[in-house]
Amino acid sequence: MSAAHGGPVSGFGAPEVRTEPGHRAVGSPMAGAPKGSRNTRKSSLRTHQRWYVPWLFLAFGLTITITFILFPFFNTLGLAFTDATLLRDGQFTGLENFRRMFDDPRFTTALLNSTLYVICVVPFMVVLPLILAALVAGKGRLLGFFRTSYYLPVVMSVVIIGLIWTNLLDSRGLVNSLLQWIGAIDSPIPFLTDRWLLLFSAMMVTVWSGLGYYMVIYLAALANIDQSLYDAASVDGAGTVRTFLSVTMPGVRSTMMLIAMFSSIAAFRVFGEVYVLTGGTGGVGGRNVTMTMLIQSEGTGLQAETGYAGAISLAMFVIMGALLLAQLWYQRREEDA
Amino acid sequence: MRMRASTRSYSSRAALTGVAATALLLGACGIGGGDDDESTDTTDAGDSEDAELSGEITFQTWNLQGGYEDYFNGLVADFEEQHPDTTINWIDQPPEGYQDKLSADAAAGTLPDVIDIGPEAAYTLASADMLLDLSQADPEAEQQYLPKSWEAMTFAGLGGGTYGYPWYLNTGPSFFNTELFDECGLDSSNLPTTFDELFDQAATMAEECPNTPMIGRMPAIETFGMYGVELMNDDGTEFTFNNPAGVELVQKYKDLYEAGGLTEDSLNEQQTGELEGFKSGHLGWLPGSSYTLQDLKETAPDVYENVAMGPLIANAAPNMYIQSIAVNAQSDNEDLAIEFARFVTNVDNQFAFSQQAAIFPSADGALDDPFFTEADDTDESRVRVEAAQQVEQAEVYWPPAFSSQSADYMREQIALAIQGDKSPQEALDESVAYANERLGSE
Repeated sequence: MSAAHGGPVSGFGAPEVRTEPGHRAVGSPMAGAPKGSRNTRKSSLRTHQRWYVPWLFLAFGLTITITFILFPFFNTLGLAFTDATLLRDGQFTGLENFRRMFDDPRFTTALLNSTLYVICVVPFMVVLPLILAALVAGKGRLLGFFRTSYYLPVVMSVVIIGLIWTNLLDSRGLVNSLLQWIGAIDSPIPFLTDRWLLLFSAMMVTVWSGLGYYMVIYLAALANIDQSLYDAASVDGAGTVRTFLSVTMPGVRSTMMLIAMFSSIAAFRVFGEVYVLTGGTGGVGGRNVTMTMLIQSEGTGLQAETGYAGAISLAMFVIMGALLLAQLWYQRREEDA
Repeated sequence: MRMRASTRSYSSRAALTGVAATALLLGACGIGGGDDDESTDTTDAGDSEDAELSGEITFQTWNLQGGYEDYFNGLVADFEEQHPDTTINWIDQPPEGYQDKLSADAAAGTLPDVIDIGPEAAYTLASADMLLDLSQADPEAEQQYLPKSWEAMTFAGLGGGTYGYPWYLNTGPSFFNTELFDECGLDSSNLPTTFDELFDQAATMAEECPNTPMIGRMPAIETFGMYGVELMNDDGTEFTFNNPAGVELVQKYKDLYEAGGLTEDSLNEQQTGELEGFKSGHLGWLPGSSYTLQDLKETAPDVYENVAMGPLIANAAPNMYIQSIAVNAQSDNEDLAIEFARFVTNVDNQFAFSQQAAIFPSADGALDDPFFTEADDTDESRVRVEAAQQVEQAEVYWPPAFSSQSADYMREQIALAIQGDKSPQEALDESVAYANERLGSE
């Protein structure tokens, strides 16, 4: 910017560099050099002396990143190898926290639950919003109404959603009362106390509340599919299903991969739904605890074991990183093919 | 937790602010209770003989602004009047996340000078040298409190130091839903008083009414104490509740579960869930506090009509809870903080506070007042008098070194034992190992 205007960026307090024609510093290595070269060197000098200008532009963003991302990350990394608690600086304990982690049945349970969450939730998150998006794409008030309805859970707090579903699925909740009233069941279905039923209930809540978000992403992707492809499919006599499979799905393939990535990470980090449905307890016997719930349990409160919580966080980071890399690799392979 | 559950619902008492102010004034003048002589004798803290106090401190309470704002404003004003050069900044924290707030302050080194705190949190902070040892800093204060309340804030595991001035106590009766008793083949005039009777009647209830259990949640650490289980060794260095008596208690729960006397919900229930279950008329027994009766009257009038009360079910002494006022060891104005903490917990101010909230003073002599010894014809006064008598026998069972994480872990392990995934002995062994590990890490 300054070069274009031929003046210093004095607004940043940069020292002025003299640029008058004919002026040359005595003893300068450029002495005797052709005029054009001299001008280039001056410009270079000016740029060199304002090395900090780009940093000034970056300062705000860097400060935020360092304070809220890099420092906590490296701090967690360091804590993971200590026996620190909230109120006591830890000693370096090497891999002790990781050894403890793999001996801890709660960690195994949490890892299993979070992994199952990814396996079960992600396929629904990838496919169902696409079907919804295909159904509600287009113009018209009715379609607009459905789009809004499907998106509504996205703007609701996860706590509110959890409470709604808790009241529905409780042993004395609406679902059980209704089923008992019509005589379908004799005793309540333990949606919120049976280990697997609770996990699947939480998955259902996650899918229900996340559909709208991914539907909107698909709607944007659908708008980018060339209309002539649909026309050609129509001319060829393709029906709705064939058109969906042969035109729509290939057209949003990259979006599907993106959503698979996003929803995998979100599913592995699940917290709110399980927390609220179990009343914050992690289920009967703690058998519904997830990775993030375990971190929260170990890493908060006055008795927080920050070192151990850091180790679990690090393990979670590594697992999610591996998941992400695997998906990127698969996506690249698909693109190359 | 239980104490807080009691006081949290007291916002309606804000309407009694006039009474509050009057009581405070009477209390401050030493005529709040019937034992004027004793009150005057023991209320040296906060009186104005020490004119050298000056400066500013912060006093933090937990969820008391809503119902008792006038009381605390009056308390602060009274102290500042006695010590004109002082300023007390009263702050109140919301009910949720109080421990997190303390954690954040402790980690940042910004704990308030004077803190409303329970024994478990006090133990953790004291173990990190963040609270003042009052047995060293103010040893003569011990005489002003009930010995058992002073002992409750004296931590054997930390060398016998005392880390909080005892403040209020709470205990209460057992509540029974007599309508369920009559429906489910039990005699509502023959209420259980021991654990054996409780489990026998619970089994009968399970047989007659499968969907309405007697017991609503897993045994907590204080349940073990009331059952007569030794919870820790005398040195406070090791938990011992995995002894045969502890295993026997868990086995009784397991047997009841197998007989259909415990629901799946109860395996995961916490105190609030148990209370809600009783209020909705689906539970036979509720171990309550002194506030529970009023709560039932206001929020569950149908159940209230059929409620019968009895003493807390215990094979040993009944349980009570304690809340204290601690002083930050890093306070810049330690003398003022100590003086104010003693002022808040002196006999007159404790008595004044107990007239507004359903709690009991820990100051020595306060329970001798007719307010706690003479009942009129209301249920509330009968509960108050009976609970006050119960305080005389009660013990604070919850070991201060037993963290909330340990309590959660124990509940999970007992639930697994009850469902047959492990034996009661294994469940308690693991709970004890977990709690002992935490004990060592603090």
